[in-house]
Amino acid sequence: MKQEEERLTSGQVGSIVKMLGLTTDREFNCTECLQNVSEFAESQLAGKPVTEIIARVEQHLALCPECSEEYDALRKILQAGQ
Amino acid sequence: MAHTEIDWPATLRATDSVEQAAAVRELRDVLQTGLRVALNGRSDVSEAHLEDFTQEGVVRILARLDQFQGRSKFTTWAQAIALNVAFTELRRKRWQDVSLDALMADGERMTEPGMIADNALGADEDRMRLVAVLRQAIENDLTPKQRAAIMGELREMPFDQIVELLGTSRSAAYKMLHDARRALKQRLHEAGITGADIQNAFSL
Repeated sequence: MKQEEERLTSGQVGSIVKMLGLTTDREFNCTECLQNVSEFAESQLAGKPVTEIIARVEQHLALCPECSEEYDALRKILQAGQ
Repeated sequence: MAHTEIDWPATLRATDSVEQAAAVRELRDVLQTGLRVALNGRSDVSEAHLEDFTQEGVVRILARLDQFQGRSKFTTWAQAIALNVAFTELRRKRWQDVSLDALMADGERMTEPGMIADNALGADEDRMRLVAVLRQAIENDLTPKQRAAIMGELREMPFDQIVELLGTSRSAAYKMLHDARRALKQRLHEAGITGADIQNAFSL
């Protein structure tokens, strides 16, 4: 834990505020995102229309850097296989 | 052995042990090829890691076959799980020495004067007001665990590590963070700052 950082950076405060802007009453958690991210990845690559499930995955990815990192890796695999 | 996308789960569940073993071997190959592509170039990933991630991925997938709903290709669904296994482990190693005390202390620093500068988002009057409301809400409306979890996330600490240190479950921790975000958003809303205002300000 980096205790030497005396105050939050502008980027960190901005991150909090941005997360609040994206917050909705009903959201996917990481487990729900993982269950549906494969459908999201294939839909994105195929340019398919956005469904409610797809939209929720997209919203979760915008809030969660870890799931987003894993999605980027999945996309890389799918693109390599095309 | 060639599988259509439809028969992967059935073949992996096959009672014929030869057929089932062949399917598992093929799944291993698919996962390892994908992991190699995804983790290519990372200095913290060795061949042994790739083997471990693949093996654990196979175990996890076989345990979750009932959760596959067929809305994507089976292999895409399986790759997502293997990637989750790999990234979770890589993140855990990077943060394994952090203690609960350190996480909680870091969270409490959010309430210290000056931790969030008045002009953290700029000197514009509206933004300074937003920061003032946010700072007060963090201090008054969040629990110590919520502050600790938010600070952990801001430090880019893995979510699983936060979950483990707080001694809770993934879903409970996510709900705790979701509740925290909703509480802060509500406080901004009460101060006349709406989600649309935030999105406009940050071009979300």
